[in-house]
Amino acid sequence: MYRLFLAIRYLVTRPINLLGMAGITISVWALVVVVSLFTGFINVIEHHVHQASADLVVVNLPPWANSRKLVAALEADPQVAGVTTRLLHHGLLLRPGHRPPPTPLPGRSALHGGDQPFLFVQGIDPRSEAKVTGFDDWLIHADIPKELRAMDQALLPRDGLPTVLVGLQRLTREGLRVGDRLVLTTARIETDPQGRRSPRKVQFDLVVGGAFKTAHSGFDGNTVFVAADTLRQNLFPDTPDAVQEVALRVHDQQQLEATAGRLQRTVNRVLERDQYAWASVLTWREKNSGFLESVQHQRALMQVVLVVIMVVAAFLMLATLSMMVTEKVSDIGILCAMGGTPLGVTTVFLACGLVITACGIVAGTLLGIVTGIYLEEVRQALRWTTGIDLFPIDVYNLERVPSAIDPMWLLQVAGMAMATGLLVSVLPAWRASRHDPLVSLRAG
Amino acid sequence: MTTPVLQATAVHKHYRLGKREIPVLRGIDLSVAAGETVALLGASGAGKSTLLHVLGLLDPPSSGEVHYDGRRVDALPIGQRAALRHAQVGFVFQFYHLIPELTALQNVLLARMMATSVFAYWGQRKQARQKAIAMLEQVGLGDRLHHRPTELSGGERQRVAIARALLAEPKVVLADEPTGNLDSTTARGVVDLMFSIQQQRGLAFLLVTHDERLAQRCHRVVRMQDGVVVR
Ligand SMILES: Nc1ncnc2c1ncn2[C@@H]1O[C@H](COP(=O)(O)OP(=O)(O)OP(=O)(O)O)[C@@H](O)[C@H]1O
Ligand SMILES: [Mg+2]
Repeated sequence: MYRLFLAIRYLVTRPINLLGMAGITISVWALVVVVSLFTGFINVIEHHVHQASADLVVVNLPPWANSRKLVAALEADPQVAGVTTRLLHHGLLLRPGHRPPPTPLPGRSALHGGDQPFLFVQGIDPRSEAKVTGFDDWLIHADIPKELRAMDQALLPRDGLPTVLVGLQRLTREGLRVGDRLVLTTARIETDPQGRRSPRKVQFDLVVGGAFKTAHSGFDGNTVFVAADTLRQNLFPDTPDAVQEVALRVHDQQQLEATAGRLQRTVNRVLERDQYAWASVLTWREKNSGFLESVQHQRALMQVVLVVIMVVAAFLMLATLSMMVTEKVSDIGILCAMGGTPLGVTTVFLACGLVITACGIVAGTLLGIVTGIYLEEVRQALRWTTGIDLFPIDVYNLERVPSAIDPMWLLQVAGMAMATGLLVSVLPAWRASRHDPLVSLRAG
Repeated sequence: MTTPVLQATAVHKHYRLGKREIPVLRGIDLSVAAGETVALLGASGAGKSTLLHVLGLLDPPSSGEVHYDGRRVDALPIGQRAALRHAQVGFVFQFYHLIPELTALQNVLLARMMATSVFAYWGQRKQARQKAIAMLEQVGLGDRLHHRPTELSGGERQRVAIARALLAEPKVVLADEPTGNLDSTTARGVVDLMFSIQQQRGLAFLLVTHDERLAQRCHRVVRMQDGVVVR
């Protein structure tokens, strides 16, 4: 009993120890808040990315792929709810006579919301696409003004020209309206009679058919939709069956991985040639792994930085505790005379460190949880007072700053803080334990 | 004859300084009976404090034995020695050794906390508090309960130390120059208090002092010189 009592009295009479406690509190708080923000962000990003993707896609299809046979085989799987084929291409989409704008600054890639002039052109079949993704909903998103909405029969030719659907943000930024003419500039690979392959420029006219909007702005800004036939006629005139990607919707998200594995075997069977397997089945997560992992990587980096801050805070605690031990070793003698053992008395100092750490952890965790819950309010208050915007929520189509408090992470933070706290308390306590209790009893 | 409460036989103690051994106690035989007061006199450096520490089990003897109530205690494990020290011995020192962060009452209460766990103490906290207050009233500090040591005079501090030493109702009190830091009037007051409590409770009392007059008030005077009892 005396240990806890003395430890608390020692601490209460020395406000300097609040410094160490504040250090622990702040670092725990930061770890809780920042990681909750990132976790929440990752959660919504994943959700958004998933909303703008098909559950599974079959990519890297070989040129001889018989799409009809492949689609039939895939549709036979009990988990498959819908299948659609796509043609993919890249191109510059400009008004007639316009030059492309300068490329954006390096480092801000298409996936992070920086829109590139060079676009992904997806050739789709709107009817089956709608069975696989939220394509129909993307066209009637509440943000799209009436005059920019596509007609019911999206991607049907207009004025005798094929139509193109452009992401809402890009459309409004470039001041395009429905019915405007655009030119798609791209290239296709041609093989001459000698078997040499060379690119040839391809240009054709398109007409703006309307806007679309998904939850994933990185997708919207860099993708346009045209009818698959449009691409086929202009780019693959000799292969009417050409298909570059097959997208699928599954019934059960829980079994996504298992389904992907099974479908991979189906694809291998259908496309097998010369005993080589061709094409691979990717889940939406794998397809977007570059983007998702980059955010996770940022979270991991923040964790490392903040743990280092915690270590620095622990050093602060070490300093104040050491000061206290230097001052209080003289009490060891009398405590021994009153019936304590030297080792037992030494643990008073350990208890001091642990009390500081425990208080710091509790305060930091509570503060962190409260901040995590009211993060959006904190952001607004900060923006209102200082003009600094912590988090650009509109870039990511969000209403609030995302935040997800993970109990496991709270436990991990508490554990880490406790371990560092223990480590820096052991040192001064160990120093105290080497002090001869009789020395202070002889002297005044 | 009854067994003495406290007995030392052929106690030797030497300290090691590098390779040299410094003998401090060189064969001390001493026994104190219940209710007896013994004064320990001797020049500075004679080894009086060292003997007190050995008798109070704070410092193990290099050789020789220490007995409490006829039971050998110097060779017990450290935890048991600490428990015995708590239960049987009360220490009073020249420099009081109160803990400056605690009030007089808390300093006395600490003696009770030493041997009880958090939960056990919680159960008996009211009772412990009452006893500590009664103890402080007995030493005449009923109105100084919540003063810090720095807010007390030397004599008052020594009274708090006495109350603390007596809270656990020890059989033996070992006092190392308890009046060494006090003026003669205050010293007399403190000594009177100690003797009255000693008589009241029938304590064995071993008092180290440089004061011949004080020594004469004890039943027996033991003189030490260079680590041996001379008379
Ligand atoms: N830890 C130690 N190491 C070496 N020598 C020590 C140690 N402690 C005490 N001594 C020596 O032991 C001798 C006796 O010391 P002690 O404190 O017992 O004397 P004392 O009789 O109480 O003196 P005083 O009347 O001044 O208090 C001294 O010579 C001292 O130098
Ligand atoms: Mg001495």
